Amino acid sequence: MEPKNPTDGETRSIHEADFVALLTSGQNAITLTVRALMLGDRGMEEVVQQTNAKLWQKRDDFQPGTNFRAWAAAVARFEVLNYRKQQARDARLRFSDDLEHQIACEVGELEDDLYDRHAALQECLKQLKPESRDLLLSRYNGEETIADLASRIGRSVGGIKVSLSRLRTGLSQCIERRLSTGESVE
Amino acid sequence: MSGMKQEERLLLIDSLLDGTISDADLLRIEAEMTVDPKVRQTYYRRLQLTMLLERQAAEEGGRDRPVVGKHPRRRSRRMMMIAGTLAAIAAVLLVLFYANPSDPGSGESNVPLAASPERTASGFAILSGQDDAVWGGKPINDGDLLPSGELHLLSGRVQIELFSGVQIVLQGDSSFSIDSPMQVTMLRGIAHASVPEPAEGFRIKTSSGDVVDLGTEFSVDVDDQGADVHVVDGEVQLHPHGSETLQIQAGVSRRLMTSGNAVETLTSMPDTVSPTEFQNQLQKKQHLRLSVWTQSRNQIQSDKRTVAYYPFHSGRTGARQLKNFADGSPLLASDGTIVAASQATDRWGRSEGALDFSRIGSRVRLNVPGEHRGITMFCWVKINSLDRLYNSLFLTDGHDEREPHWQWMEDGRVFFSVKVPETDQAGRDPSETVQPVYYSPKIWNASLSGRWIMLAVTYDVENARVMHFLNGEPISSAPIADKDLVESIQIGAASICNWSEPMYRTDPQFVLRNLNGSMDEFALYSGALSADEILQLYRIGNPNEQ
Repeated sequence: MEPKNPTDGETRSIHEADFVALLTSGQNAITLTVRALMLGDRGMEEVVQQTNAKLWQKRDDFQPGTNFRAWAAAVARFEVLNYRKQQARDARLRFSDDLEHQIACEVGELEDDLYDRHAALQECLKQLKPESRDLLLSRYNGEETIADLASRIGRSVGGIKVSLSRLRTGLSQCIERRLSTGESVE
Repeated sequence: MSGMKQEERLLLIDSLLDGTISDADLLRIEAEMTVDPKVRQTYYRRLQLTMLLERQAAEEGGRDRPVVGKHPRRRSRRMMMIAGTLAAIAAVLLVLFYANPSDPGSGESNVPLAASPERTASGFAILSGQDDAVWGGKPINDGDLLPSGELHLLSGRVQIELFSGVQIVLQGDSSFSIDSPMQVTMLRGIAHASVPEPAEGFRIKTSSGDVVDLGTEFSVDVDDQGADVHVVDGEVQLHPHGSETLQIQAGVSRRLMTSGNAVETLTSMPDTVSPTEFQNQLQKKQHLRLSVWTQSRNQIQSDKRTVAYYPFHSGRTGARQLKNFADGSPLLASDGTIVAASQATDRWGRSEGALDFSRIGSRVRLNVPGEHRGITMFCWVKINSLDRLYNSLFLTDGHDEREPHWQWMEDGRVFFSVKVPETDQAGRDPSETVQPVYYSPKIWNASLSGRWIMLAVTYDVENARVMHFLNGEPISSAPIADKDLVESIQIGAASICNWSEPMYRTDPQFVLRNLNGSMDEFALYSGALSADEILQLYRIGNPNEQ
């Protein structure tokens, strides 16, 4: 649902139901932006929620017909900055302001194809060896740190990191391959 | 991309996402990201992958670990995505609600959405007909949602309707899976597909290539060496695995080889039927079943135990009376009087054969004389939804001593009770004088909505047992405690599919009990029928093949 360019410059306020629809469809972009900027910070869910609340408050500022996801990504970036301020700490891990700005702009423009990517991922996961799949999903299942995971299965942290990274790369390639063959026949 | 090697770059990006990157490495990757848009794209893709893996792990986390490798449960993937999306919407709405509790109009209409999660069912297609079908594994009934995963038809023919509108008739020994409303994988067997315009692009995958519809009717015959594709109407696109895509038109056949080529077909088109022809055949069979059922009905009518037997089909428009066809019992119920209910299509497809009770107040009034040592009731119903706390099947006026109540609870359990006389309870602790209710398990789910089903219940005095039946099969059997056994049941004035208030109002909050659905046959027997008899009644009365 990519909004068209407005045919006139008039500012109209958006119907709430339409706004909820936009907000709902924009969730991936919002989460993506927050996470792209927070670099492993556990507070990201909170920021996503704050961003949603802020978008709702500012719904009258949104100009129907403009790119909602780009707008939402920009708001999300400010909420990330706000969060850092509230936490009264400067995140140890953060990009430069310029790069953060760049990321927020680009994430809003990313193709919203998570749905297809998830479907492709599920197919690609089937091609993994059971132990690889288990290792990968263990990483995302719960609160276990890589160190915990490493000691549980008796491998080095570095070794696991490399294995995980390779598995992710393999999955990424598989997903891209599936998506591109899928596109060629549409 | 230049500078560091790709594998190292990806490792750094992964540690960025983990939050475990060192300051020095952060500077290195940040520098690359700042100057190279491709590195940023890699970062975004990696982040998306992380989010999807988290989602996947969360979905699988609900199952018993370990999930991996053993028997991956074949849950519908798309439903998971939909469930995920619904969860996201609910989350957004909750956020909105809590963030703006006092904001007037800030989605009053949204809050109930968040509060009551939508009911869902899982699947991409339903079974819309079958003819002599034998399934490998659990049988599938007409109207059932087809499970995801590999399905195996051993013999016979079945028709499948995908939610995209695609209709497929499968025949003979076939293995297939329904991957989505727009894609079916054929491992073996013969499929004849009819694809309406909105479903253009529908795809049948085979091990030797894919067949993509361009608005057509076509058949695919898959064996170990390849797949023959025959276009009946319109055109299809073939995607052999090893050679270029080609388009073929009506009347043309090609064979997709496992070697990767598409070649001339040597075999002629298999003897398939189109979905339309198949439906015609099924209709003929159904007419046959209807005539068998009509002829066998006199067994029910003349049974000495049959007190009331109402096949609702009158053949007349606007009829307001339901004739009681029973004639063997010394105690016969009155004819039924239709109140407010409107005529509807019955399970045989006849337009005036059923009554729709969804209008408030709808019911059939009847009077059942005498005392009965146990009872049996059965009916064929088609429920739209159970939208009241109590949804009536058969209730006596009020709920007096020795009277039965048969209804469906909102939560999907069938309720049956016979009120134990107060006199029998004399001397008991008042806290014990609760009326016994014999519930079935929860049998309602959304996939039953709009389908004809047969319900039955027996109150067996000899064996002190209440049994519920669904489609001829017993679904629960509960003993009746000695203190609760009512050896002599009375009915008197009663209603089918609604309830009439008693003279005194003891429970006014339950006044609306009419059933949101239709009924086309109801019978009441004195005494308990055996499970075999109930199964037989179902088999004879079932309009569809099992």
